[in-house]
Amino acid sequence: MASSQHVLLSPAELAYLHASLSLTPPIRPDGRSPTQFRPLVAETGILPGTNGSARICFADGTEAIVGVKAEVERTAQRPGEETVFLEEGGAGGDGDDEEEEAGQGLDKRKGDASWVEMTVEIPGLRDDDSGTAFLAAMLSEALLADGEFAKRLWINRRFHWKLYLDIILISPPLSYPLPLLSLTTHLALLSTRLPRLKSEGDEDPFFDDDWAAAPYLFPRTTSSSSTPSSTTTKSPTPAATRPPITLLVMAVGNNIIFDPSKEELAVADVALAVSVTGLSPSHETETGGGTAGEKQTGRNLRLLSIRTIDPPSRLTAPGVANAANTAYGASNGTSNGTQKMAEAEAVEGVWRPPRGGAKRMVLGALVQKVLERGGVVDEVLDALEGADSG
Amino acid sequence: MASLKRSLDSDPFSANISSKVYVRSTKSGKVQKIVREVYLRQDIPCSSRLCRSCLKAAPRDAAGRPTTFVLSEAPAGTSVFPQGHYLVPDTNAFLTAMDLFEQSAAFYDVVVLQVVLEELRNRSLPLYNRLIGLTKSEDKRFYVFFNEFRLETHVARQEGESVNDRNDRAVRKAVAWYGQHLSKTKAKKVPAVVMLSNDRDSLRKAKQEGIPACSLAEYVKQLKDGDKLLDMIPESSDQEIVKEKRPGEPLYPEYFTMAKMMTGVKNGLLHQGTFNVSPYNYLEGSIRVPAFPKPLLILGRENINRAIDGDLVVVEVLPKDQWKEPSTQVIEEDTITKNENPDAEETGDLVSEKERKALQEEVKRTHSKTTEGHAQPTAKVVGVVKRNWRQYVGHIDQSSVSQSTQQGRKQDTVFVIPMDKKIPKVRLRTRQVAELVGKRILIAIDAWDRGSRHPTGHFVRSLGELETKAAETEALLLEHDVQYRPFPKTVLDCLPKEGHDWKVPESVDDPGWRDREDLRGLLICSIDPIGCQDIDDALHSRPLDNGNVEVGVHIADVSHFVKPNNAMDTEASIRGTTVYMVDKRIDMLPMLLGTDLCSLKPYVERYAFSVLWELTPDADIVNVRFTKSVIKSREAFSYEQAQLRVDDQSQQDDLTRSIRTLLALSRKLKQKRLDAGALSLSSPEVKVQMESETSDPIDVKTKELLDTMSLVEEFMLLANVSVARRIYEAFPQTAILRRHGAPPKTNFDELANQLRVKRGLDVSVESSRALADSLDTCVDPKEPFFNTLVRIMATRCMMAAEYFCSGTQAYPEFRHYGLASEIYTHFTSPIRRYADLVAHRQLAAAIGYEAVHPSVRSRGKLEAVCKNINVRHRNAQLAGRASIAYYVGQALRGKAAEEDGFVLKIFSNGFVVLVPRFGIEALIRLRDLADPEPAAEYDAESYTLTTSGSRAVTVELFQKVRVKVTDQKDEATGKRGVKMELLSVY
Repeated sequence: MASSQHVLLSPAELAYLHASLSLTPPIRPDGRSPTQFRPLVAETGILPGTNGSARICFADGTEAIVGVKAEVERTAQRPGEETVFLEEGGAGGDGDDEEEEAGQGLDKRKGDASWVEMTVEIPGLRDDDSGTAFLAAMLSEALLADGEFAKRLWINRRFHWKLYLDIILISPPLSYPLPLLSLTTHLALLSTRLPRLKSEGDEDPFFDDDWAAAPYLFPRTTSSSSTPSSTTTKSPTPAATRPPITLLVMAVGNNIIFDPSKEELAVADVALAVSVTGLSPSHETETGGGTAGEKQTGRNLRLLSIRTIDPPSRLTAPGVANAANTAYGASNGTSNGTQKMAEAEAVEGVWRPPRGGAKRMVLGALVQKVLERGGVVDEVLDALEGADSG
Repeated sequence: MASLKRSLDSDPFSANISSKVYVRSTKSGKVQKIVREVYLRQDIPCSSRLCRSCLKAAPRDAAGRPTTFVLSEAPAGTSVFPQGHYLVPDTNAFLTAMDLFEQSAAFYDVVVLQVVLEELRNRSLPLYNRLIGLTKSEDKRFYVFFNEFRLETHVARQEGESVNDRNDRAVRKAVAWYGQHLSKTKAKKVPAVVMLSNDRDSLRKAKQEGIPACSLAEYVKQLKDGDKLLDMIPESSDQEIVKEKRPGEPLYPEYFTMAKMMTGVKNGLLHQGTFNVSPYNYLEGSIRVPAFPKPLLILGRENINRAIDGDLVVVEVLPKDQWKEPSTQVIEEDTITKNENPDAEETGDLVSEKERKALQEEVKRTHSKTTEGHAQPTAKVVGVVKRNWRQYVGHIDQSSVSQSTQQGRKQDTVFVIPMDKKIPKVRLRTRQVAELVGKRILIAIDAWDRGSRHPTGHFVRSLGELETKAAETEALLLEHDVQYRPFPKTVLDCLPKEGHDWKVPESVDDPGWRDREDLRGLLICSIDPIGCQDIDDALHSRPLDNGNVEVGVHIADVSHFVKPNNAMDTEASIRGTTVYMVDKRIDMLPMLLGTDLCSLKPYVERYAFSVLWELTPDADIVNVRFTKSVIKSREAFSYEQAQLRVDDQSQQDDLTRSIRTLLALSRKLKQKRLDAGALSLSSPEVKVQMESETSDPIDVKTKELLDTMSLVEEFMLLANVSVARRIYEAFPQTAILRRHGAPPKTNFDELANQLRVKRGLDVSVESSRALADSLDTCVDPKEPFFNTLVRIMATRCMMAAEYFCSGTQAYPEFRHYGLASEIYTHFTSPIRRYADLVAHRQLAAAIGYEAVHPSVRSRGKLEAVCKNINVRHRNAQLAGRASIAYYVGQALRGKAAEEDGFVLKIFSNGFVVLVPRFGIEALIRLRDLADPEPAAEYDAESYTLTTSGSRAVTVELFQKVRVKVTDQKDEATGKRGVKMELLSVY
């Protein structure tokens, strides 16, 4: 939907915009650098009744709220190897088996995609609108892609948390809302807490009634990321991943531009939705074998998914070169031939909608850029983390 | 972007708003985050009469009057706080020592904090209700202070702080605030505000914060006469010391965690139910669980694992090789653990030597058995869901008192033997052993930890000398949980203002006469036992022109005086029934109503609720109608008087003739009932004759049956059935009815087998009719009592009749088995039974006399009422019987009588004999037969016990025996009971 919104720009304006974005370095209409995000204001914990919530407001006036609610749900038992018999630990009380299992690592935790339910609401659109459904699919895909997230919802072999994510755009969709919704969801998940489990083993879960004791779904590192070298002794058990974010990246010519505005998107050659997740620095110190310099500046990023977005530029009307324009004296008689010419080859300064797919080189560069250590994603993640803790 | 969060910084009233966030886990397994906003205020008064500022700000009622302040301006002082003091107890103080607060000697001017009250409600509802009762009583001056809503005393939970710690902190903060607040008043003597707590940590913190605080024991010591009260401080307060003292191994297995138990129960691996102890063997319990038709057995101390009769426990079924048969031996706690020393350190040996011996014999017996199929599933207790401990009546075991401590005020540990044999001995620490020995005392159980063989408890109060009438009667009432305190003022306020001068209004236009029929012209009379003051029912009959007879049953119109949901109604619904003791009656309704305004006394006009039938001479109902009415009873007969009058042929007045008509009809009604299969069951009923002056019992008589009794009974049954049909028709979901379930066939297995083996008789239990018929055949031509004996035993196999709400059962389940009636309710005794009162209201609504009150229509509420009155009804019966038993014992005191008796039950080491003359039964043990104890062989197949050696007799079931009945003070329970000695076997 929103990606194909009608843009009220003339072919000449489009051509100009395209040209300025193709420069090195590109010149963006709002004066941002290619990797710069639009300024945003964010806050968390705005809905006291939820397990986690966040709100982000972009400077262009788009605004979203995300609320996360968690419920305890019984895990459907499949007959076979997974069936849990209570004697194993529930009623028997001999803790030996349990400990052994725990020693084998986290393998016993299993996740399932159905444990997360996401609804996206865009004002003015039906909730079964293809665009909305696509957005929801992209966002949940990013969450569930690596299966790590659903594992966090595991309580024991018989129970799990069911997470309901309600994502609401509360402003009119002025630009393609994917980045906004993704960032808000990220922030909401960061602030999400689940009641502390007090029961053990496969008993019916029993929780601490103190909300203040409820742990975060994504455990927070106590130390700031500036002193990661001293935190090598961190316990390795919680995979210190962060919730994923999905970024909108586009390419114009060979330039890679992050967080395009609506107008910029209208001239994009390629637009990608890239989902990445960041492993926090503490985790990295253990796994990352890179140089010390790199270690200090960023985190390990992991690519979760890439989706190409059909850029609205494809639907724009092409400009007509003066040579082919009858108003500029082009003869009507030869119009057939010249028109074909206009389509065949680009004329400097005349808008021509992009045709065909993305170039592999560009795609590669795009992904490279996104995953760059200490790059844009890092900046964004840091900023959001700051917003949450602040 | 403006933040959406409520910004507390910019709001000038931000201090008044706080919020509370917590996680709530519901029973259904849901886990919710709850956010509560709390709006704090400053106009919640401290309620001290010293304080002027609060009085100004305190909220006023509709008439503009300020609320009266509760706390005295000159509270009592103690040795440490001579200037006077207010008490602020924490939750634990109430939980452990509510009895102390109810004392009239001390504990005045108490501030009950909201946080404490709420915590108490969550922990124990009965205690909460008692505390609410205290706050309502004006002379105790208990004030509930809503500390959570007062700005200065509100405390927010800190991170990582447990709820308990937060609450303790809230208590300390409130105490501190009270102190400061009161010091601002310009009173000459500012009372101290003292926190009462048994929590060491909280006491220590209070000391640090400079808040006056005492433990219960410290506080009580400051009081005059404190020593006496000291005993009422529960054991658990000393727990920490005790624990240090006894590092020994725990004696009992640990309980499962609650979560583990619930998971197990849900999955069907563990079972939950109420634990019952066998009345004959204190080491054997049973538990009925929904999963199995028969109860599970729980044998031995370790398996019983600290459960006490009545507790709601979770059990685990034991492996099959540990299944056993229920014991055929009588094991009484006192004989086996007689010599235990309450002070002794428990030496880790859970099962004492003698207990072990008893168990061995058990095993021997089981093994010698050829038929292994008899073994029953056994189980062990793995946890207690809910303790149902109440206060128990008992007396101190004389033998556990060491001689050296008979005098002096040293704290001593003794055993208390509860009156209820199903309750184990309780260890009690007291400083007044010398005074308490030989008294009936009330105790409460505090705890039973793993390291202690017996539960520990504390002394509540003394009821008086053993075997004094007052003490024993009160003990019985307490043991059966009968509410016997005088009615509170709130209840008495609901009575009509005119008191005894109340009369049926003369003018027919009075609202009291609305929709009432004037039946004053009818020849109505009442027939009741001698001396009956609460006359519920009256009757009349008159011939109709068409040859039929009009019969009316007129019931006291109690619902006119007791309106739903007022204090009197609530009290009556809690009491549920009037309890009749031999020398005392505990009323359900205040005297004024029960014996005067409602009672259908002769010669005065009374409101009534009438059921009027037109009956054919064959006692078939032509029609029935119900109406509220005004009647004037012509005469109140006793059964005997009425009988004399009917039999006296010279009496030919209308009234007598109408009674004769009723009598004739009642015989036909009875025959119809018996034809339908109504059972005539029997229980040994006796009557204690008292000396009129001293009300000392002088003789015991079995009750005589008169025709006039059956007359009244038949018409009451008829009225009940008619009313039941009518209210069921009007309220198919919520009618209050009474059912008597058909007994499960297995209940009769034992009896049927006994009759077959011993007498070659067959009992058929297919239907009540079949049972009635087969009971009729159980006769022994030589022994007329045999039939009654069988009926008595059959009665014990029956289910108990119960009240229920019609929506909870299917129609076929409504059946009253004993009366062989499809539908039944209680309507005819509203003065003494609450169920009847509800039926009255429902009937009044059904006939359009009054609007349906919501409480009569709410199924949930009615179910709760039914549940309560079922329990009360049973307790009242038990209390009544126990009272008779006590008086029978008293009547026999000092006498010895030789009587005939029958063997009712046989154990391998004794047998139970019933003496019909006194309606009593007693156990004769082998060791009572002769000294030394004769050897005995018990044949369970033929129910025969053959002794040899020092005395050779053969005792069989149902056998007639000659016994010598004497009275004996039961060492175990302190009850005077009967002792029987076997003289000869017929």
